[in-house]
Amino acid sequence: MSDFKIIFSGPVGAGKTTAITTISDIAPVSTDELATDMTRSRKNGTTVAMDYGLIKLQDNEQIHLYGTPGQERFDFMWEILTQGGIGLVLLISNQRPDPFRDLHFFLNAFKEFIAQGKVVVGVTQMDLASTPMIEDYHLQLENSGVKIPVFDIDARDKKDISILLEALLYSLDPCLDE
Amino acid sequence: MDNRQDSPIRLAAIGMDQRQRNALRMLFDSKCHNRYVLMEEESSEICILDLDAFGGERLWQEFRQRNPERPLILVSLKPCKLTDSHTLFVQKPIPVAQLISAINQHAQALDRAIIPEDCEPQLKADDQPPANQQKTHASTPKLDTHKVATLMTKAQEKTFIGTSPDIDPDDNAQLAKIYYNPEHYLQGHMQQALNHAKRYNKNVAIEGPWPAIDLIIEHQRVLVDAGERQLRPYCTMPDATLEVDLQINDHIKPTTGRREYSLYAFVWQLALWASRGRLPAGTSLTQPIYLRRWPNFSRLVVTPYALSITALWTKHPRSLIDTAVSLNIPQRYVFAFYSATNAVQLAGETRRAVDTFIAPPGVERSSNRGLFSRLLNTLRGHKDES
Repeated sequence: MSDFKIIFSGPVGAGKTTAITTISDIAPVSTDELATDMTRSRKNGTTVAMDYGLIKLQDNEQIHLYGTPGQERFDFMWEILTQGGIGLVLLISNQRPDPFRDLHFFLNAFKEFIAQGKVVVGVTQMDLASTPMIEDYHLQLENSGVKIPVFDIDARDKKDISILLEALLYSLDPCLDE
Repeated sequence: MDNRQDSPIRLAAIGMDQRQRNALRMLFDSKCHNRYVLMEEESSEICILDLDAFGGERLWQEFRQRNPERPLILVSLKPCKLTDSHTLFVQKPIPVAQLISAINQHAQALDRAIIPEDCEPQLKADDQPPANQQKTHASTPKLDTHKVATLMTKAQEKTFIGTSPDIDPDDNAQLAKIYYNPEHYLQGHMQQALNHAKRYNKNVAIEGPWPAIDLIIEHQRVLVDAGERQLRPYCTMPDATLEVDLQINDHIKPTTGRREYSLYAFVWQLALWASRGRLPAGTSLTQPIYLRRWPNFSRLVVTPYALSITALWTKHPRSLIDTAVSLNIPQRYVFAFYSATNAVQLAGETRRAVDTFIAPPGVERSSNRGLFSRLLNTLRGHKDES
């Protein structure tokens, strides 16, 4: 039996906890607690150490889903969480003051995933803030050296999270249907 | 044996709230073989101070007044100038190895046993958050949304892709069957309208026998006076003689009762309806195809193997025939996907000599293909549920 993990990352309020909740086969465990500081204005609960969920496959195989803490000051947890991960799902909220700054901050933090093409980007809350558009994100990513999937997603929608994960898997191996 | 030397090194976190302390505890407990323990400042040997905390600089000064020689590790997003030999600095995002290295450096000065810096910083896949940090997360209510990726059913597949068998590219009679002329379909008129709209930066109304269609260039939207069922016959039947009027139009009919589509998704769908597994006239079967970027699949009709073809083309330009062979899939799926991506100007034939000079590399097989396939099947099951 093998166990693998997928990492969900992104800034505060981008939908990491929601995305894991949406796709997980178990009731996700979370270290969410009421935010008491600068993050309170963005969302009511902010993740403390990490979120955890699970996708169960046949034969007792499992894919573990980890959400990184949204606050920059917990960055040291990222390195622990990401090692050995299948890939990274980066969620960026279009409603944040500077989504491109967030994008570059997180891409820089996860450089190794980018270099190996193990990343997909989900842009959330585009229904609340329609710009920048998906094309604009691709323009920002032009210098990354790889063509990264970027989708407009609703973190509450299982189909949206599924297609994001599918894109990640095909990026890793285009011939999965063989 | 020196018990003090082997006992856990006592650390304190200053300028950190309970959540940050929890995160540090998690690191020490699970990854550092319990060699470190988090305590209050009074009983600690080494302190870690977050300069980015409110009043961080003041906390630092006050700490040094209280403890002039106690080993200190400062952490901050910004570089920091150190003023004494008892202080080390680690910049955020904090690499675990650097944090451990800094603790070890202080520990050696205190004559304490240190742990190897390669102490497993990796969180094993079967690790879960400590029980005292866990709490069940209530499921978020799922809201209805019509804007989701649509993976085709078998019936839809027949409508959008058709059932044409593979052709022999050297057989001219068979070749003639795989092409269509987008200009003879609503797809072509829509693309022409889009060119007009972009050139003049104005909205365009497409007037013909079909229900009224308005292209709103500023918002990249299309307003239609009918649903897909009423529109589809005009998209699938060619008519080379049809006269279509493209009206530059600043005055758009009210949106009430009209269907609204994203421009991109609308053109994509018209192209699939017109193509039915065929190619725009003149497309080469052997010239490598480039794909500018991944389509926004979450808001499009996703044809079979579309993600697979995309992954292949974004790695290296590849001809249509070679794509079908490399992925071992019927040609019609490749042709349909190319028609849609070409219609939205994402894909085209390469023009650079270098792209045909060297054959595209073979497709790499992941060592985890079996696992990925099983996960893929599970995810597809998810989509059917919702």
